[in-house]
Amino acid sequence: MSTGYQIVVLSGLAPDPLQTLEPVTGASGPALKNEMMLPAVLDPWASHALYEAAHLAGKAPGSKVWLVSLAPKAKLQQVMMTIAQKAPFELVALDCPAGGFTDSAEAAAALASAVEALPGLDRSRLLVFGGWESATRGAGATLQMAGEQLGIMDQFQGVDLLEFQADGSMRVLERVEGGRQQVSLCAGPPALFGWATGTLPEPPNQPQLGMANMRAIMPALQKAKPVQVGAAGVTYHSVSLPRQQRETRIAKDMPPAEIAREIVDWIKG
Amino acid sequence: MSTEPADRPSMDVDVVCVGFGPATGGFLTTLARRVAPEDGGAPLESRVMPGLPLQVICYERADDIGFGVSGVVTRARGIRASFPALDPAEIPMAAPVGEEKVLYLLDPHGASRRSAALASADKLIRAARAVLPYEHMALELPFTPEFLHKRGGLVLSIGQFNQWVGQQLMMTGAVQVWPASPVAEPLFEETGVAGVRLADQPSLPGMDVRAALTVVGDGPVGGVGRKLDEKFGLPEGNARHEWAVGMKMVVELPEGVDLKPGTVLHTLGYPEPEIFGFFYVHPDNVASVGIFVPSWLESPVRTAYRYLQHYIQHPYLWRYLKGGKLRSWGAKSIEESGRRGEPRLAGNGYARIGEGSGSTNVLTGSGVDEAWTTGVLLAEGVIEILERGEPFTAGNLERAYVARRRASRLEQESRQAEKARDGFHRGFVRGLAGMALAGLTGGRMWMPGKHLPPQARFKTAEEFFAGRISREEIQKIRQDCARRGKPLHDALMERVGWPPIPYDGQLLVSHQDALLMGGKVQAPSGLPDHVVFLYPNLCETCGTRVCVEICSGEAIHPGEAGMPVFDREKCVHCGACLWNCSVETPEGTTNIDFRPGPGGLHSAEN
Amino acid sequence: MEKILLLLHTNEDGALPKAALEAVTAAKRLVEALPGSSLTLGLVGSEIQEAANAVANCGAARILGVAGEAFATARYATDAAAAEAIARAAQASLIMAPGTSRWSRVLAGVAQRLGGKVDTHVVSVAVENGAPAIRRWYYRQRMEALTSRTDRPWVIALDAGAQPAWTGDSAPASVEMLTVETPEAMSRTTVTGFQAPETGGQTIRPDAALLFVAGAGWTKKQPDGDVHASEAADLILGFLRQTKASLGSTKSLVDLSGEGQAVLPFLTHLHQVGQTGATPRHPKGLATCCHGEEPHVVGWRFINERRAVNLDANCGWARGKADVLYVADAFEVIRAIRALLNEG
Repeated sequence: MSTGYQIVVLSGLAPDPLQTLEPVTGASGPALKNEMMLPAVLDPWASHALYEAAHLAGKAPGSKVWLVSLAPKAKLQQVMMTIAQKAPFELVALDCPAGGFTDSAEAAAALASAVEALPGLDRSRLLVFGGWESATRGAGATLQMAGEQLGIMDQFQGVDLLEFQADGSMRVLERVEGGRQQVSLCAGPPALFGWATGTLPEPPNQPQLGMANMRAIMPALQKAKPVQVGAAGVTYHSVSLPRQQRETRIAKDMPPAEIAREIVDWIKG
Repeated sequence: MSTEPADRPSMDVDVVCVGFGPATGGFLTTLARRVAPEDGGAPLESRVMPGLPLQVICYERADDIGFGVSGVVTRARGIRASFPALDPAEIPMAAPVGEEKVLYLLDPHGASRRSAALASADKLIRAARAVLPYEHMALELPFTPEFLHKRGGLVLSIGQFNQWVGQQLMMTGAVQVWPASPVAEPLFEETGVAGVRLADQPSLPGMDVRAALTVVGDGPVGGVGRKLDEKFGLPEGNARHEWAVGMKMVVELPEGVDLKPGTVLHTLGYPEPEIFGFFYVHPDNVASVGIFVPSWLESPVRTAYRYLQHYIQHPYLWRYLKGGKLRSWGAKSIEESGRRGEPRLAGNGYARIGEGSGSTNVLTGSGVDEAWTTGVLLAEGVIEILERGEPFTAGNLERAYVARRRASRLEQESRQAEKARDGFHRGFVRGLAGMALAGLTGGRMWMPGKHLPPQARFKTAEEFFAGRISREEIQKIRQDCARRGKPLHDALMERVGWPPIPYDGQLLVSHQDALLMGGKVQAPSGLPDHVVFLYPNLCETCGTRVCVEICSGEAIHPGEAGMPVFDREKCVHCGACLWNCSVETPEGTTNIDFRPGPGGLHSAEN
Repeated sequence: MEKILLLLHTNEDGALPKAALEAVTAAKRLVEALPGSSLTLGLVGSEIQEAANAVANCGAARILGVAGEAFATARYATDAAAAEAIARAAQASLIMAPGTSRWSRVLAGVAQRLGGKVDTHVVSVAVENGAPAIRRWYYRQRMEALTSRTDRPWVIALDAGAQPAWTGDSAPASVEMLTVETPEAMSRTTVTGFQAPETGGQTIRPDAALLFVAGAGWTKKQPDGDVHASEAADLILGFLRQTKASLGSTKSLVDLSGEGQAVLPFLTHLHQVGQTGATPRHPKGLATCCHGEEPHVVGWRFINERRAVNLDANCGWARGKADVLYVADAFEVIRAIRALLNEG
């Protein structure tokens, strides 16, 4: 008899990808200009992980999804208003001013400790999910380190597909070089998955789900545990925007045939 | 009529709110304190989920609760009453109002359309400039009239303010606010409203959210408010004929500009005499600058974006703005009929609050705090009804809410303001005189004017530019623009002397770049267009196509043979198309429908 | 003084990937710039002697190896164990490695086991104030930082394509083979093979000279009021066949494909470049029908020569970001290009 999976999704927040970003030097190192004013989203690849988690949990009765999030509480609150209508989950909020300039090792330690503290955690059913990279630090390192702390020896990165087989094993597709995917079979949980885009579209808003989720999310936010995540031992010598502005030649009113000739010459040149 | 999907979900709550702006902010802030009392008192109990606290939920169309709104200078009397210990420093971009000035701007290019009277006045000002408070082609009024001043008030970014209010609300846990959730329509039942239907999503029919009370705060172009007006009509004598599109930029001022946060400039006279403007300074060397293009501007090529570009380059403002960087940009429709546009404020199962309820004060040019206060008044009434265990009937809401509103300072002030702008229907100078009269006499005197719906006021390009561009040339320009798929405004404005825009890639940017840099405009895919030409064949007969010219995002643009085409990925949801259509349908409406849909601006700095 | 370990793995065919030879270049440069430091090579694969011979002349003082069937495929448990064993044997303070998918899966975990720290997607390693310092990008290639660390061991994964590949003659190499236990728990996962997504042919070619970026304009209404998605698909696929270019796409277009719009059927999320996609490296890039601002421009942050075709002369996407912007209808231009290439 299946008792389902315990899926823990680890995620931070990222600035809404549309925003203009600029680095500034803050009291504790580099930061983003107007960081607290920038609209935030759940880290995009971790969002895919959450949707995949909800989807898998929905297919395996008895499953449960936690979202363990490391982010400034005020921003997390805001993001919950959009995310909580999308998938059923229980929130574990870690309150910290975590941006891209913190160290993955510290983030991993905080996240793994929060996972270890989950009540009723059963490692034989545990699947740790997250985005294969964040949109902030973009290192693709936090999950592996958290996985090590949790003693998980089967880890996958750049995951686009996770399918459960009839015998309880898992078929996994991971992105590798050359636009290909590596196919693996894993005996079963515990395992860790750093998701790429996955296969599911963003779920629609489900108002009932939102109402139900929010009843537990609010207390979780109120209980958000402050944690310290920094970048001890790292020196930032400089952080800068790419400055190179190109001198663009704008070719207007050129016949397509002539443009084509120029482009072909350029491609071949 | 579409067939009803069998799998439409449904949910019951106690109170459902439509739209999260200042009005709903005021409503929820007041109600939440009673739903979850901080002193540990008994919360109001839910009627649909006995044993639980009152279930209050709010749906907002935009993708986040601070998107698609605009900054403001407000006296903040209602807001401060709700938050007596308010420290503006808690709210990003907020500052107490400091220095205020009213400026009459002269036209440096001689390209605006000025009446003979105004042209003479301009001449006089120029002649006497040595002895007048005149600099950089602007005349400073010797004092800010009492009715305009915002002393003790706040300069705000409503985006940031809304986010802040949203955070306070979430922390109470008493109410839920869901952005990216457009409401399609009210659920009408017998004599009233029984909740709302959310808009369909690509894979899910919109949910019916049934509620004993539906609070409608969806603004002047909101779909639910308009459906209520269609169904129940406006009270006898009321109409919504006056509109404006407000467009603004949030600008990071160049280094070396040392303006104090809280500095407020109100301007008039330029880029057209009918276009009012503003310039507010936020903390950290950031300013909001913008204009209002009113429905009584007779030009059929009323482009807010082009006018805004000229406005910011006026010498008085450009000395501060030159070298600045565009941080945010946006536009919205403003309902300027005020008290005269008031709908039925309540009925069985519903109540109206905010700008869509006619709360904007057209004399003081103030709407945010008024909207907030309507929400507070409704919440007080709702608490009273709930505590008495009564149903939300028209009668109970009339007693508990409408009567409160009538007895409030809002009513008194909006009555004073009601006719203040009537004079503008007969010209700019009379308009100004009317405002001054109403303002100085407490509304006892005003300059009369004829109220016409916007579409009855459009002039053709030939009429508007008569004496400046020949009919033949206009025809030629029109054909040329149609061939190139361009709106008319740039060609016609440049023909009468507006100089080309010297793009700098930072602040003077193309309209499309403003969408990308300042608005980050988005449209989720897989949904039907929310702007619809009801009878496309009627557009062929349209002589003005003002919808193309006014469109704040160039989302409506000329397609084949100049016919308007809508591109939802550029729409900022300002709703100006709704009141800038000159074609009437067989049903007696204008030919553009503006429906609820997600997307639009992704900036919370407005 | 750093003890530098360069960790490499072989391909399935036993050869070293190009990224490995690029990492050799970076490691050699660092050793040369840090007097007193030493270089050790570590190799992992089913058979590694040939690979060791190929880099025997790179200047490494030692070559350590872990080989065997258990290390033939990219699997976390065994790869991490092999890398850990080599790092411990080398007593490395600095562990450099190419950021291949195989190493990216395990390096952070290895750093954790060694009690060290890790930096990934490193573009270059230099010496700053006498100590190693790295350049890498933050916020999806939108800002670049120069950083250094005091913690050791320090694992540095290098991005592919950021430095030239090392070349040198092959020579017989002496490899110190390490034995790594592979208990059953390490083989809970088995790699069964590879698959290419169903894209109707090879369209992602990381080694291509040209990146062709298709924007959402391809599936918009054209001047005749209709969408011409199938012609767009034919034009793009034909162009890719003729030029052997790699295909990238903007998020909006890829999203549309997932949601049943008029779309280009061969696009998947693997093609996505930009803010939430890849940032590939190619010598040239041609963007068509793209419109957007900074977030999307990151898609061709690492493209050297850039040209764009779109209808808006003021487009912020191309202006200042491309070398040439052709204001024209991409359908017409690509049609003409295809005809020219057919003739040629």
